[in-house]
Amino acid sequence: MLDLIFLVVSLVFFVIAVAYVHSCQSLKGGGGNA
Amino acid sequence: MTSNGWLQIAVFFALLLLAAKPLGLYMARVYERQKTWLDPVLGPVERLLYRLTGVNPEAEMRWTEYGAAMLIFSCATLLLTYAIERLQHAIPIPMLNPQHLAAVEPYLAWNTAASFTTNTNWQSYVPETTMSYLTQMAGLATHNFWSAATGMALAIAFIRGISRRESKTLGNFWVDLTRGTLWVLLPICLVYALALVSQGAIQNLKPYDTVTLIEPQTVTAPGADGKPVTTTVTTQTIAQGPLASQEAIKMLGTNGGGFFNANSAHPFENPTPLTNLLEMLSIFLIPAGLCITLGRMVGSPGHGWAVFAAMSVLWFAGVATCYWAEAQPNPLLHGVNQRVATAGPGQSLSPGGNMEGKEVRFGVADSALFATVTTDASCGAVNSMHDSFMPLGGMVPLANIMMGEIIFGGVGSGMYGMLIFVIVTVFIAGLMVGRTPEYLGKKVQAYEVQLSMLYVLIFPLIILGFAAVSVLIPAGLSSISNHGPHGLSQILYAYTSSAGNNGSAFAGLNANTHWYNSTLGITMLVGRFLMIVPMLAVAGSLATKKIVPPSLGTFPVNSTLFTVLLVSVILIVGALTFFPALSLGPILEHLLLRSGISFS
Repeated sequence: MLDLIFLVVSLVFFVIAVAYVHSCQSLKGGGGNA
Repeated sequence: MTSNGWLQIAVFFALLLLAAKPLGLYMARVYERQKTWLDPVLGPVERLLYRLTGVNPEAEMRWTEYGAAMLIFSCATLLLTYAIERLQHAIPIPMLNPQHLAAVEPYLAWNTAASFTTNTNWQSYVPETTMSYLTQMAGLATHNFWSAATGMALAIAFIRGISRRESKTLGNFWVDLTRGTLWVLLPICLVYALALVSQGAIQNLKPYDTVTLIEPQTVTAPGADGKPVTTTVTTQTIAQGPLASQEAIKMLGTNGGGFFNANSAHPFENPTPLTNLLEMLSIFLIPAGLCITLGRMVGSPGHGWAVFAAMSVLWFAGVATCYWAEAQPNPLLHGVNQRVATAGPGQSLSPGGNMEGKEVRFGVADSALFATVTTDASCGAVNSMHDSFMPLGGMVPLANIMMGEIIFGGVGSGMYGMLIFVIVTVFIAGLMVGRTPEYLGKKVQAYEVQLSMLYVLIFPLIILGFAAVSVLIPAGLSSISNHGPHGLSQILYAYTSSAGNNGSAFAGLNANTHWYNSTLGITMLVGRFLMIVPMLAVAGSLATKKIVPPSLGTFPVNSTLFTVLLVSVILIVGALTFFPALSLGPILEHLLLRSGISFS
């Protein structure tokens, strides 16, 4: 049971990290970089 | 302090200086896929690996793709290591688990998997009684290579972000990972491991030895009913294993996870003064070389040396403070010595300074130097127990990690962490003169500064947040071995070490509890991956920009002024963020100790 919990915790963390990649990318919108 | 001690520190730095340039230039050739003398041997291996894994080495990646590839790789290897730990007892090959060690329990297995995936190598366990040879080799040593190569790849991606103009890509993660492993880590480790074996490090798959003691020892310990039981011990078990091969990458990859619990204080891990010097040098070797790689790849060798100089200044300040603090005798022990205890006629209990928790083979100077180097970098290997340092001596390793481990730093992570501080420094310099900040011809704008500050702020947020909760709840407080400010330092050090992916411990904290195993595991993952993402975003944004020619208003980043400003920014950011916590921990402990107050 604990193995399953840690599997889910790990996967959830990395899914959040991938989502975080996209949120950092979306910040770029207002940048106006030359 | 002695002249001999200072001489050893000077020799260490001179050797580092000599090794940094050739290695840095070599790494630039490796990552720019230029010809090297190892190509005839490693080229076919590289091509075979790409063919087997279906990687197209010519395909370039945007920063988001680069980051996603790194995350997928890290997630897969974390789960693989977790599985190996949980199944180590079931592998039907006796030589891979001659001690018949049981499966690692889930909390500890997850903490360890997170620890080695993130290059932290925090160890809440005693390796020789917990991990089988299979786990040490296939689960942990392989991670030492992968996490180090990942850090180097990320640093190179950032450097490409600076050097490329109007490009949407930063390279190919799989190619950088492969080339860093094959061309840099493996060849050095092969030679290094043989050198360690020549000095007495072991490398075998034997069961542990049992030897008869020349002098039997009488030990009194609490029995099952709590009453003291006295036994006579006549034998000792001497742990064995494939150590040298793991020791080499443990130091070179700034991983730091010991094959044995005593880490680099163990005579098999660090047999002689020569191996001690080699181990310290190998911690800084790649991070120092990456400064030269930076200079070469961005076309400004002076900038690489300016960054190297900033790192060197901070390193020297740390080692001088630590050596000074440890060269003082413990004032409380000094009092005991005068009144009651003597080590013998004419002998002091503090020969050369505070010797508690230090190996007599290495002494005060080499212990202070090792502690400084291992926490400047994200290594975390120890040849002395930081928990036993004098309060200000112990504050140096803590403060080194709190500055973000950018003083040479972890392999790759030190360089990209330092480059984030460079961005902040250039931004502040731009504000001072009222011009748009430029870094090597790239305009630094709101997006880069926002993400750089996100990178800077995540670190204290995770450390101070968990440390604050831990000093308030029984699950956090029950693990400390000293009350008062030293207990706070133990908790603070654990979260700082985990978030900084250092992995060294203050030794007094019992971290093998559900609370610490789970929260430290989360801290390590956040401290690694949630800081990498904004860093890559900055790199990706810089890569898309034009390079404007330097003008009178351009702030030169290869000058002494730049080095001074960079050091100042690092100190101010580190000091402002963590000074209140340090005041309540090691600084308060130092003042109380001077007043004769200590805590049990």
